[in-house]
Amino acid sequence: MSDAHHGFNLREWIFTTDHKRIGILYLIGALSAFAIAGTFAIMIRMQQYGPGMQVFDSGSGYNTALYFHGAAMILVFLIPALTGFFANYFLPLMIGAKDVAFPRINAFSVWLFYAAIILALVSLVIPDPPDVMWTGYPPYSVTTEGNTAFYVFTVHLLGFSSILGAINFLVTVIYMRAPGMGWNQLNMFVWTILAAFILQLIFIPVLASAVTMLLFDKYLGTHFFDPAMGGDVLLYQNLFWFYSHPAVYVILLPAIGILFDVIATMGKNRIFNYKVCVYAGIGGVLALAGEVWIHHLYVAGVPDWIRVGMMITTLLISVPIGLMLMSLWGTLYKASITFNVAMHYASACLFLLLIGGLTGIPLAMTVMTANLGQTSFVHAHFHFVMALFSTFAIISGIYYWFPKMTGRLAEGKLAVVAFWFNIIGVNITFWPLFIIGVQGMPRRYFSYEQFPQFAPYHHVATYGSFLVALGMVLTLINWIKSAFWGVKSEANPWHSKSLEWTHTPNPPGPGNFPHDVTVSADWTPYDYVK
Amino acid sequence: MTAHSTTAHGTPIEHQGHGHHWETSIAPFAVVFGVFFLLPLTFSMHFVYHNTILTAVFAGIGLPLILFGVAKWIDEGLTQKPLVAGLAGVGMPIFIVSEIFIFLSFFATYWMVRLSTYSWPPEHTPEMPVLLPLFMTFLLITSSVTVHIAEEKLEHGDLAAFRKWLVITVLFGLAFLSCTTFEYHHLLEHDFLPSTNAFSMIFFSITGFHASHVFLGLSIFIAILLPALGGRVNKTFVLCGSIYWHFVDVVWIFVVSQIYFW
Ligand SMILES: [Cu+2]
Repeated sequence: MSDAHHGFNLREWIFTTDHKRIGILYLIGALSAFAIAGTFAIMIRMQQYGPGMQVFDSGSGYNTALYFHGAAMILVFLIPALTGFFANYFLPLMIGAKDVAFPRINAFSVWLFYAAIILALVSLVIPDPPDVMWTGYPPYSVTTEGNTAFYVFTVHLLGFSSILGAINFLVTVIYMRAPGMGWNQLNMFVWTILAAFILQLIFIPVLASAVTMLLFDKYLGTHFFDPAMGGDVLLYQNLFWFYSHPAVYVILLPAIGILFDVIATMGKNRIFNYKVCVYAGIGGVLALAGEVWIHHLYVAGVPDWIRVGMMITTLLISVPIGLMLMSLWGTLYKASITFNVAMHYASACLFLLLIGGLTGIPLAMTVMTANLGQTSFVHAHFHFVMALFSTFAIISGIYYWFPKMTGRLAEGKLAVVAFWFNIIGVNITFWPLFIIGVQGMPRRYFSYEQFPQFAPYHHVATYGSFLVALGMVLTLINWIKSAFWGVKSEANPWHSKSLEWTHTPNPPGPGNFPHDVTVSADWTPYDYVK
Repeated sequence: MTAHSTTAHGTPIEHQGHGHHWETSIAPFAVVFGVFFLLPLTFSMHFVYHNTILTAVFAGIGLPLILFGVAKWIDEGLTQKPLVAGLAGVGMPIFIVSEIFIFLSFFATYWMVRLSTYSWPPEHTPEMPVLLPLFMTFLLITSSVTVHIAEEKLEHGDLAAFRKWLVITVLFGLAFLSCTTFEYHHLLEHDFLPSTNAFSMIFFSITGFHASHVFLGLSIFIAILLPALGGRVNKTFVLCGSIYWHFVDVVWIFVVSQIYFW
């Protein structure tokens, strides 16, 4: 028994109920999804290179690529990487717990996630792949020849996985904190995960219901979304966005949480305005998240009083987000910064979130959305927030905790070169889309013969995407190389005060902590300035 | 640090997360892939691809996997000691929050469809039963009382009485599901199908979804009852089962008032 946790044992990995190993399983699945969905992104960009058919032979091939790229990036990469991998691996360590409250349910969640991945991959090889984007709007999703059922079940599996995750992590944070750890001593990452799971718990069931009705409409002949038979086609859009707007915060909040931990540790500084950030910032987002979804339906024929009401709430939600951003910037104030790779990505995030956030303000306004809503301006806006900001935060977190997971450092020239490819590449890819968006470049079209004047911009964007692809491949090579042959790290390479660094070995063994953890009343994970 | 201690019955109790070896369990894996075969694949084979053989094959793989996984899971739950005891009693109410929102989505759909129609019920809706739902309400409320009695008996250590009252509860639940089956059969015979009109889709989805919850609640009770016959009971698990059952009961009050008597 004594050497049972040395060496690789496949059985021990597949049937594991240990939160760290489950976290790694999430990471492997999420990164695989990122690779495949990223390949589709490159194909989409190549198709958009010029008007007419470039790489796909039909519009439906392009639709399938859009479906897989969107659904996999959001549902299988971003959300599982943040609330699956990071939450699983680091949250119990940060609060001094030996595991989560329900380890078997945790294993259940990760395998539901893999079942969804399998279903999504099967979708790619069947003769009638789903072609409903990640939104699955009726009436098209009901009338299409494509297999909408697989879309619905992918959402079900992932949704159930997240709901169980929510139960697990809420109970874990409430009941399994180390003795002495009060609410104001939690890592910012723990707070943001808590908030993300509260959102998942409340809003996922609504999405699950919406897609279930879709399934019934298509395969059992009901009429939920058929106005001719007493149904309502906008009902789907309402239910869908009632979940899917908050889903943005399920991604955004943990990404911000990672940045707080990276920036405070690498700057050796306290969190600026901790309590305001937690209770007004995160709390404000939670309070408003469910009252803004109509901004996705501004042009769908919704009564004005709802449109204007939700325009106000949408603009208002930038206040709590702004408070969090202020805390992020404030944490840099008078900090003594160690500029490692994690910090490169973290600083890039501050810029990306600013651009993404500012371009969201015109889109919050009904009059502007009437013109911009169906253009590539929206496309560029949400990629800045969701794709670029969140992915950079994830990469920052992986670099920051890399020594914790592997015992080795992933720093070095390769990492920095890859960073510059990534940050330059994403800007070259998405700025042209803002510009032609304002001039009327439509979103989602597989070809743009009517607008040949936009072709040069698309050329630039496509070349930019190649740079990103190169950067991501180099990043992945660097991680694999470093995990096996990287420089050995000291126990606490960043001299953090947080429990996952101070009280556990790299990587932690079964049960996490060699000695039981208690914390004193004046301890905080950001206890750098006295 | 000792890894093993024993219960009064002499069965070894393993402590989770005691720090000696990596914890494993085959149960979650088995249940997930059982569900994977039984729901997405079986449904798709039947409704999307109309392939009878594969429908049967996938269901035949899925169901045994689920039963095996659940049995294993319960066995582990009864022999292993969690890191912190009793937390499932908090987890269940949190799960119910999420359930409430599923029901709310369907009710919101119902209200929207109904309030935007000029005449209700729509054409082709037969006369709905009045006495049957009242009787079903009686069955469920009584079963909530009997499960409460069962819990009290367990609290006083009277295992035999606990089992008796749990069996009574299960019988009430089964009676409820029989009524549902009877009612569905009657309605389908009068050509009232899920696809018939706006009311039929609401009626079948909401009552059907509730009935599936009754079925799940009963499954939990049976999963408690079988080991209890051998004297193995986990009080937290019983608490979860009863919380869930009370929830199913409360939802039914909403279903009856909204679907049958409005
Ligand atoms: Cu939104």
